[in-house]
Amino acid sequence: MDIRFSDCSVKFKTHVALHPFSLVLTERRIGIIGLNGSGKTTFAKLIDGLVKPTSGTVTVNGLDTVKDAKAVLSVAGFIFQNPAQQLIMPQVMEDIVFGLKAHGLAPAEAETRAKAALSRFGIEALGPRRVHELSGGELQLAAIASVSATGPDILIFDEPVNQLDLKNRRRVVDAIHGLPENAIVISHDLPLIEDFDRVLVFHEGRIVFDGLPAAAIAHYREIAGC
Amino acid sequence: MLTSLYVEGDTFLHRQRPGAKLALILVFGLALYFTELLAVQAAAVAVTGAIYFALPMPFREAVQRLKPVLFTIAVLAIFNGFVLSWQEALVSTLRLLAVVFLAAAVTATTRIADFMETITWALRPAERLGIVRAADVGLALGLVLRFLPDIFGHYEALKQAHAARGIAFRPLRAIGPLIILTLKDADAIADAIDARGIRGR
Repeated sequence: MDIRFSDCSVKFKTHVALHPFSLVLTERRIGIIGLNGSGKTTFAKLIDGLVKPTSGTVTVNGLDTVKDAKAVLSVAGFIFQNPAQQLIMPQVMEDIVFGLKAHGLAPAEAETRAKAALSRFGIEALGPRRVHELSGGELQLAAIASVSATGPDILIFDEPVNQLDLKNRRRVVDAIHGLPENAIVISHDLPLIEDFDRVLVFHEGRIVFDGLPAAAIAHYREIAGC
Repeated sequence: MLTSLYVEGDTFLHRQRPGAKLALILVFGLALYFTELLAVQAAAVAVTGAIYFALPMPFREAVQRLKPVLFTIAVLAIFNGFVLSWQEALVSTLRLLAVVFLAAAVTATTRIADFMETITWALRPAERLGIVRAADVGLALGLVLRFLPDIFGHYEALKQAHAARGIAFRPLRAIGPLIILTLKDADAIADAIDARGIRGR
């Protein structure tokens, strides 16, 4: 993984979401923490090209997120806060197949790859289930399977264990830890990122700490005052 | 709560090709349009109503999913009752009911993926003429069918929120929040579609 931000900033009308910064990310597991509204999600969406930089550039594995937007989407997959909104088809299996066909796979090959994706996360039973019937944890796992099926090098998670019970949290955390792909995880669940390679702390649109998890968490607690 | 417009089953309609079912709605609708005979319209409602209510879903759910459209037809019928003769108003109301029952039966027996593929296939000639992007229209239709139950879900949640606070619920008052919630959902879904690289390939 090689993500480079050069003099990058993001402004929405008059609101500065991210102040200018430069950064290189190469580690396999990167955590992002910070208070609500500190710029975490905007930062993550910059990587996937869902948010375009107001100034500067972002490259992902050598691809510019503005000039090579479509190619970037194949390299970086995004799992949203509410995975129900990203599963477009009513059934899990249908959704994975749909995503693969949209990436140009023939129906038979898409079906095979979809089955493999479900099996990889041990959720074969979810294949015929309806998205509306799934629990929070099952939705997260289905979304991870759906996004990873297309073979991205990097998976970006926006608060993946938000509102999950302990059992489902465990399932999702295990799935994230077991991923061979690179992972960038926004989380308010601090134990989730405790053994990550690098953690960034955001505050008021700035990266105020960049380092190992323990020190980053301590810094975050200081900002939060608890 | 309504969770999906598709109803699992193996009825005669389930087994028909989506293209044939869509063509049936078109032909049936046109045929009804060309006749003013009250008996024919009444028979059409009886047949399509029987098909729809015979589908493998509880009667209550079958009525529930048609409530908004039945309400609209009722309003239209009242309006027509004032401006047309009672026979004309009745014919037009029955015609609409028959088409709605048939369309609802087709919707309930066709998977969204099949709908999308059929619509996309049918629009390919128009795409070649540069009029539309067939896959986009198919996707748009699929999204409407997929997320319509979510809008019903928001409506129910708003109702419960009113009840929890002891406030009388007025459907008209829910329109504003419902639109805002739906637009927020639409933003998130659009982001997800972009993130998954589904459009523009």
